[in-house]
Parts: sequence; structure tokens; C-alpha cells
Amino acid sequence: MNQSRAQRWVLGFFVLLALVMLSAPTVVVMGASVSAGRMIAFPPEGFSLQWYGKILAASDLRQAFGRTLVVALICTAVALPVGTLAGIALAKFRLRFAGAVQVYLLLPFTVPLIGSGIGMMLAFGKMGILGQLWPVGIACAVINLPFMIWAVTASAAALDPDLELAAANCGAGRVQTFLSVTLPAVTPGIITGSLLMFILAMNEFLVSLLLVDARIVTLPVQIYNSIRSIITPDLAAISVVFIVMAALAIALLDWLVGLDIFLKSK
Amino acid sequence: MTRHIQRPSLSRRAVLRGGVAFGGAALLAQLGAGRAFAAEPEKPAELIVRAWGGSWVDALKAGVSDPFTAATGITIRHDLTEDNEIQPKIWAAAEQKRVPPIHINWDTTTNATKSALRGVAEDLSDLSNLAGTTDLAKPVGLEGYPIVNTYGYVYVLAYRPEAFPDGAPKSWKDLLDPKFKGRIALYNDGIGFHFPAQVAGGGKLEDIPANMDACWAFVEQMKAQEPLLGEDPDFTTWFQNGEIDAACTISTNAREARKNGVNIAWTVPEEGCKFDTDGLWIPVGLPENELYWAKQYINFALTKDAQQVWLDGLGLPGVVPGLTPPADLVDDASYPTKPADFEHLIRISAQVQVENESEWFAKFKAIMQG
Amino acid sequence: MRPSRAEYPYRWRLMDRLEAAADRLFPRRWSRWTGWLMLAPALLLVAVLLIGLVQIADASLHTLDRKTFRTSAAYSLDNYRAALDQGVYLAVLWRSVLGAAIVTLLTLLLAFPYGYVMVRTRSSNLRKLLLIALFLPFFIGQVVRAYGWLIILGNGGLVNDLLGLVGVPPQRLLFNYPAVLFGLVQYMLPFAVLMLAPALTAIPEETEAAAGSLGANWLRTLWHVVLPMARPGLVGAGLVVVSLTLTDFAMPAILGGGGQDFIANAIYDQFFRTSDQGLGAALTLLLVGIGSLVVGAVFTAFGAGTLAMGRART
Repeated sequence: MNQSRAQRWVLGFFVLLALVMLSAPTVVVMGASVSAGRMIAFPPEGFSLQWYGKILAASDLRQAFGRTLVVALICTAVALPVGTLAGIALAKFRLRFAGAVQVYLLLPFTVPLIGSGIGMMLAFGKMGILGQLWPVGIACAVINLPFMIWAVTASAAALDPDLELAAANCGAGRVQTFLSVTLPAVTPGIITGSLLMFILAMNEFLVSLLLVDARIVTLPVQIYNSIRSIITPDLAAISVVFIVMAALAIALLDWLVGLDIFLKSK
Repeated sequence: MTRHIQRPSLSRRAVLRGGVAFGGAALLAQLGAGRAFAAEPEKPAELIVRAWGGSWVDALKAGVSDPFTAATGITIRHDLTEDNEIQPKIWAAAEQKRVPPIHINWDTTTNATKSALRGVAEDLSDLSNLAGTTDLAKPVGLEGYPIVNTYGYVYVLAYRPEAFPDGAPKSWKDLLDPKFKGRIALYNDGIGFHFPAQVAGGGKLEDIPANMDACWAFVEQMKAQEPLLGEDPDFTTWFQNGEIDAACTISTNAREARKNGVNIAWTVPEEGCKFDTDGLWIPVGLPENELYWAKQYINFALTKDAQQVWLDGLGLPGVVPGLTPPADLVDDASYPTKPADFEHLIRISAQVQVENESEWFAKFKAIMQG
Repeated sequence: MRPSRAEYPYRWRLMDRLEAAADRLFPRRWSRWTGWLMLAPALLLVAVLLIGLVQIADASLHTLDRKTFRTSAAYSLDNYRAALDQGVYLAVLWRSVLGAAIVTLLTLLLAFPYGYVMVRTRSSNLRKLLLIALFLPFFIGQVVRAYGWLIILGNGGLVNDLLGLVGVPPQRLLFNYPAVLFGLVQYMLPFAVLMLAPALTAIPEETEAAAGSLGANWLRTLWHVVLPMARPGLVGAGLVVVSLTLTDFAMPAILGGGGQDFIANAIYDQFFRTSDQGLGAALTLLLVGIGSLVVGAVFTAFGAGTLAMGRART
């Protein structure tokens, strides 16, 4: 790519600005997690791993974490097929009332989370399914579904209708065309979308708060509740554990398929 | 309202006292021996008590929950959902005839009164230990005991002594000094501030709720000071980071901040401070046996020993006579015990509060968000 | 290793079965409904939300009696009247709408170069760094992140410490409107880049090179070639940011210092502080209406953005 010097400076400036903005709170939270003091502070007061010891010893946190994993898995398992099909449908077909459909499918974003939470609490309560984890997973899938759909449609640029026609001309059936032409074309979107669904479900607190009770409380809800009482470095430590796990997952993904999968289809 | 105090600071001694003092026998005696030998309903494996986090829950655990478990074998699980945020869940459960998500709600008297008016609270008049409580335990303006108040607290004026070199502020009006612009904190909804503002603005307490012009005039003046609005955890963060010099907050929070090394003091200015209570109540819709044991829990919380340990942790005056104040709060304005102590404290009935609170709140917001 | 001979026929047989099943379950002559069939699960899933909205709509038509804390049996529009009559809600609404517009513009301004460099860079290490920096903040919840900003931007925070080094007295950087917008931009940036990147990937590098070789400088290339081609991505990212900002709750609550409420904060207050579910429900529906109007307007004005990318090429 031939870039002029001015272009490089301008792009570099914006990218650096964005990098600092994105990373600054992460750095502060990581620093605060090793504080020897009792309050979140940066630079940390002394160095201590006491807060890590504390969260590792807390069995309620471990249980809440386990439940959160279940919720995130359910959410992703539901949203992945639903969002993928919808995304392909929106990108490929000229549907009537497409505008209305899209406004409808964006409801999860245009309804404030508190409204979604109250509404689903009332609806699930009527159905008598509160007190279990799977409705929480469904709820997370609903409120974040647009991300899944949009990740897929966004990558549908690589979806070449001619290629699908060619496959059909060569005698491939509809299922085969779908599996070997359509689906691989949108794979980057599916991966990005699923990852987003999973991460967002791991962090969802406002809607979950209204759908869980003390017996099935999830980690983000527990964190939210403790923040309401006091912000201590153990919360920073939990965040860092999350970050480390995320880093490991990203490294694994890079090693297995390469991170470029987010940007390019195979 | 969020409740916040910092890390547990209950002394080891207090915890031990809490745990040791109540053997099973002691508790049975307190629950009333006759009852204990009568056929008890089946014990549930656990009871869920909603509580505020931090050392609020630690104090409850040491003073009430743990000894109760020791005596009955019933595990207590604490649900740390905010009192405000559990309310719609309880109401929806009652509306839909479901079992409520908790057994016992530790709640502000104002919020509990709303639930009681709505009819979602069980009557607790038959608790045997009510006989030994002071007037404070009885909710005002409600039939029977849909709530039992368990202690009182004061919305003090907390301040950083460095910012007040001439000593404690004498009046709420002292905060109007231009040097405090942007350095005062109030609760989001103005709770705790309305009544002293009514006095500071030149109005009369008797005029609440009919005529509160004086209050709003003073709030308008305060608005010009660009106060920060938040909840308890915000206040502590702000005090700690030197963002604010003064705040209207519950004394417990100020005391805990001081214990954790934040240089902070508090006072009751001449206009007075709001005094209010918290209580315990049980939502409707529980199975018979769970209701029975939930009542036993509240009954137990009204014993002198339980109150002493629980409220030592909170630094607040209880509802049974003869409690010993924590050493640091003897004769403190935030720990009223004698009638004279109450002279500067403003107490408005929960009923007046719940009926008008939304309006006050909206008005406060309208001024502050304008 | 060479695949065994038997494998192919087996896979073919399976595929044939699937095709046959598909033909039976969904005959080819129905194919004009294929799109709707694929869309149906999503429509149903969002219907869960719709059921909740119906409950909320019902609640919004009953007023609260503060003597009993029960809602009236009769239907009325009083809650909507209250919401529209009180200036404070209009002020808060305007603050949210304006905020959403500003945040969207700023976010796109930052997301575009970020996504562009991420897609175009030759260095795979830089690309990885940018991707990782994008994903990591997700793992610190919005609330903890906001508290991170309190530490950085506070009176005694890092930024003021740095300013102090050059002799600038401590500035109040928090608890105002710009602070809320700043926090929101930071929160929305990763979403925007992720939505934008695929659209940028789709722009052939040769096109830019061609424009360059025809004498256009980079700014002109950017304006006349790259931006128009990236438009679907910009629209898609913009829609995500605008709708999420409009309904955000945590950033105004924490970084606004209580005086910078967005409409979601007002809704929270009604549901949780004053127990007035009817008014909260009315405000919720008003917000949904405004959000949907904005989204619909963007669709109409700019096209469906990323959503139409596949079709645009047919």
C-alpha cells in the first residue's frame, strides 16, 4: 500500500488515540487488582496478590462463574443458528417489508435493557419458568441477537450469488450449496458474532438481575450487587481473571485458525 | 437507596460473642420454650434474606444469621440485590401468585411501607419478642406489624475537616459558600436532604407535605453549587479521591469510611437531620412452614443479644432497651438514645413519605436535571 | 493420507438424504418463501421481547395510587400525559438524543481509521494487536470500566497528575456531559469497528491504487472512493451505536455525577425508586418509539447499510 506521509500521520494519530482510549481502563483495573490497600486505586498502594487469593477461595464466586458459563453457552447455542439464518436471509433475499422487519429485529437495541428485563420477568413469570438458568440464556440471546445477525450480514459481502448459481448448475442441491458455498462465505461473521454473543452474555447484569434469584445468581449480577455496596480490588481481580482467560482463548484461536479469520473468509 | 460501608470491620471479639453467646439452648429459650416443644413445622433447608452488601451483611451475619443457623440448623443465604431492585420482583411474584424470591427482606421503612400498603407483606404481630421492643419498632400509620423496624439512623452532614478549618459546619447554609461549588454530594433522589432543606429555607416542618416551597427554594440555591448526585459507594469514592468536601449521608457510611482511613467527620447542623428506620418483613406467598421459620428469624433479630452484635457492626441505635453503644459513638449525634438527642432530629411518618416521595423526588430531579 | 474409497459414497448418500428431506419438507416451488423461513426463528426469538413489551404497554395504561401502591383498574393515558407534561423528561430525552448523535459521529470518526488500518496493514502483528485491543475491554464489564475512568480522570487522577507536572491546576474532568459522551464513545468503539471491518475488507485495494495512479491524492481517494464504498459498514455501525447509546444507563449514571441522566436513567428511577411502574412503562415505550423512528429514518435515508450488502451486488 502506498501511503503518503501525511496519511500515515493522520491514521497513526487516530489509531493511537483509539488504542489509548480502549486500553487505559484495562490497565488501571489490572493495576488496581494487585493493590495492597482496601480500595481500588491507581497507582496501586503497594503490591499484593491478596485479592486473587480471596476470589480463588470464594466458592460462591466459582459457582456463580459456572452458572455464567452455562448461560453464555445457552445464549450462543441459541443465537448462532438463529442469527446466522436470519443474517443470510436478510443479505440474500429481497423481502417485502424488509424495512419493517429490520426495525423489528433491532427492538433488542431500541428497548432499554431495564424495559427488556421487566418485560421478560413478567412474561417468564407468567409462564412459570423463572428460577432456572435457561431462560436467562434465552434472554441474553434475545437482547444481543442483532449483533449476531449483523455480524453475519456484514460479512455477506463475500457472498457471491454467482458462486451459488454455479454450484447449482453443477448439480449441487440446495442443502449442499448452502453448506459448501453460502455458509463458508459468512464464516468470519459467524465467528465474530458468536464470540460477541458469548462475551456479552458473560457480562450481562441488568436483565439477568431481574431473572435470577439468590440460588442461581450469575457472576456479573453478583459483581453488580457488590459494586452497589463497595468497590474493592477483588472486583478488579475478577476482571483480570476474565482478561487472562480471554487472552488465552484469543491465543488459542490464533494458533488454531489465525486471527485473520475475523477479517477474511477462507 | 444503596447501602454502603467498606470492608468488614467487625471486631473478632464481636463475632465470637455473636457465635458463642447463642447455643441452641439459649435460642430456644428466646424463641419461647413452650413453642419450641410444640410440634414445629418442618424446617426448610435454607432461608433467603435480602441484605445490603459489605459490612451491612457481615454485621447481620454475625449478629443474627449465624447464631440462628447454630440454633436451628437452617442455613441462611443472603441475597445482595438492592432493596429497590428486589421490590418489582417481589411485587410481580405476588401479582402472579408465585413463591417470592426471598423469605425475609431487610428494607428501608419507606420502601417496606409501600409493600405493606400494597398488601404483599405478612403480618408479624404475633412475634413474641415484640413485647420487649421500644416504640421505634412499630411502623407508623399501618395496621399491625407488616414490618418490624429494627434500628434507626441519621442522615448526617459528613465533611472533610480540612475543608472546614473553623470547625464543624453549624448550618446547612454553610454549604452555600462559593468555595464548595462542585464539592458537595447529595443522594440522587435528594433523600435525607428535603426536610433539613425545608428548615434551612425558612419553612416549617409542620407544613410538610402541604407547603414545601421553602425546601425547593433551598434546593434551588444548592443547585447553583452544582452538587454531585450519587449513591453511597459514590460518596466514599468521592471522599477518598478528594472530589467532595461535604455530603448528606447515613452516619454508618461516614463511620466506615473513617475506619478505613478517610479523614472524615460528621455533625447534625442547627436545622436538624433526618432520622429514619430500617426494618424486616416477609413477602406473601411462602409455604406455611417457611413462613413460620422466617418469622422465627425476625423474632430472633429482636433479641437483645442479636441486636447488640448486629448494631455494633452498623453503629446504630436499636429497638430493644439496654443496648450498649460502640465506644466511638457514645454521646455521638448520630447515635441518639435519650429524648434530648432527638431534639435536632427530624422524623416524618413513613406514610407521609411514601405518599409524597415520588413527587418530591420528581421535583428534586427537575431542579437538578434542569 | 488418502481418504478411503468408501467415504465419498457415504457422504454423498448422506447429502442425498438431506436434499431429499429438504425437498419433501420444503418443496422447491415454495422457494420464494425461503427467506421468510430462514428469518422465522429470529422473528420468534424477538417475539419473546414483544410479549414483554405487551406487558409493559398494559402497565403504562394504568396509574399508580399512592395510598395503596396498586395500579388503577381503569385504563388511562395519564402516564403519557405526565411524561410529556413534565419538562424534565423532555430535557432528559433531548440530552439522550443529542448524546446519541454526537457519540455516533465521534465513534465512527475513530472507528473508521482504526478499522482501515486493521484491515489494510501489511504487518500481521499490528493487525493482531489492534484486534486484541478491541476485544479485551469487553471482558471488563461496563460498570467496572466506568470506575476505571473515575480513577483516571478524577481530581487526583492520572490525567490531573500529568497536568500538574506542567503547572495546570486540577481540572474537573468528570461528572459533566462531555465525560458521559467520552465514556460512551469508548464503550461503543469496539462494536463499531467490528461492524465496520467487514465492509472495509470488501473494498478491493486495487480500486484505491487505481484512484491513486490516476492522480487523486489520498484525501480525495478517501472521500470519493473509500468512504462511499464503506458506506454500508458506516451505516451498520452507526445504527448499532445510535440505538445502544440512546438506551444506555450505566455511563450517565456513573460518569455523569447524577446530573446528566439519560432517558434510561429516568426509566430506572420510575421502576426502582418511586415504584411507579406505569410511568416507567410509558417512558419505556416512548423511548422505543423514538429509537425505532431513528432507526427507520436511517434506513430510509441511507439504505439498509450492511444489511443489504449481499443484495447490492446482485
